[in-house]
Amino acid sequence: MISFELNGRSVSLEAASNRTLLDLLRVDLGVTSVKRGCEQGECGACTVLLDGRPVNSCMVLAERVNWRRVTTIEGLEEEPIMTVLREAFMEDGAVQCGFCTPGMLISSYALLVEKPRPSGEEVKAAIEGNVCRCTGYVKIVEAVLDAAERIAPE
Amino acid sequence: MRSLPEFRLHRPEALSGALELLDALADCRPIAGGTDLLLFLRDGTIRARHLIDVTGIEEMRGISLEGGEIRIGAATPLSEVASSELVAEIVPALTEAVFQIGSVQTRNQGTIGGNICNASPAADSAPPLLVLDARLDVSSKAGGRTIPVGELFAGPKLNSLEESELVTAIRIPEPPEGSGASFLKLGRRRGSTLSVVNAAAYVELDGGRCSAARLALGAIAATPIRVAPAEGLLVWKKPTKAVVEGAASACRECVSPVDDIRGSAVYRRDMSAVLMRRAIKGALRRAGVA
Repeated sequence: MISFELNGRSVSLEAASNRTLLDLLRVDLGVTSVKRGCEQGECGACTVLLDGRPVNSCMVLAERVNWRRVTTIEGLEEEPIMTVLREAFMEDGAVQCGFCTPGMLISSYALLVEKPRPSGEEVKAAIEGNVCRCTGYVKIVEAVLDAAERIAPE
Repeated sequence: MRSLPEFRLHRPEALSGALELLDALADCRPIAGGTDLLLFLRDGTIRARHLIDVTGIEEMRGISLEGGEIRIGAATPLSEVASSELVAEIVPALTEAVFQIGSVQTRNQGTIGGNICNASPAADSAPPLLVLDARLDVSSKAGGRTIPVGELFAGPKLNSLEESELVTAIRIPEPPEGSGASFLKLGRRRGSTLSVVNAAAYVELDGGRCSAARLALGAIAATPIRVAPAEGLLVWKKPTKAVVEGAASACRECVSPVDDIRGSAVYRRDMSAVLMRRAIKGALRRAGVA
């Protein structure tokens, strides 16, 4: 039995040793914003926050989140930084097929929490582990910079 | 993608508990971040029935300065090493290397001990640890020993540890005044990629001459290597352009690269010299040469 905090609620369930956090979230708990991409820790589509830091949930064994805090975009819906990021992504055309978007938003959110006014290079470094196969990187970087400007104008 | 095979995950909180399990259980592997190991378990290159999670062991985590040495717990996440002010101030070449391993997500999960114990020939933390003369604390139920980091690398993805042994910490001596080190990586892109070649250089200067030089390369042989013949061309010389060029060029003859998806052997051999020349220059700048 493992117990952890998922998006502010405490959750307890059985998980086999070889269950990944990705399967725990998507299959057992129905949190489908967490996408199954490469399952090799390369694409970032399954990115979640573990104790506030971005990790690839496909590379985390479920048992290891016991007593820890897991956050997906559902848990950040009301967060001011995420609200602005989401609006900027929509208005700036940073979404094409949308598959990478939850992971991109999580990585961008973690960046803006740490660094409210990042440079373009810092945005690129923050999303280096998130692959967009529509290759819409230019607009994604622009949207993150736009969101940063909206949140902290000076 | 294949799903993970069945295994049992053990999560000891004390080092003694982990060493006990490693000693008692057959078909057993330590797991730290798991960012490499889970891949190998999935594709079947590594089999294990028991995994011993070492990330809950307090004494295997954290970075401190103790008696003229930086001690980094082997299960310290790479992101913590990359953002450590202590590491950046005393051994910036290691900061440069660790910051270029994987992506943000991988660095938050993966550990410095895992990066070296997996013994990838391309491990980015290996060349700086080699030139900084890092030593490893190795423990087993039977006792402890300390080995130079170079002794860990036995072959591609093969370390020299006994199955019952665990690397618990990395110790790096504080470099003396008048020394400098640097690290460079060549990848197919900047972020989140394995090195085609990586290089680190360390020099000590005394009265305008190199009193010590240590050079290391990765992704160009079965293991990360020190390049002793090239080091010999720097020691007790004034580091003129020609001397630096000579040492860097000597690297060509010291490497045995392979052709693979990331680069050809010919290219890797050439780039060994190019990267080493830049790494030596970077180290000299840090040591105070204009």
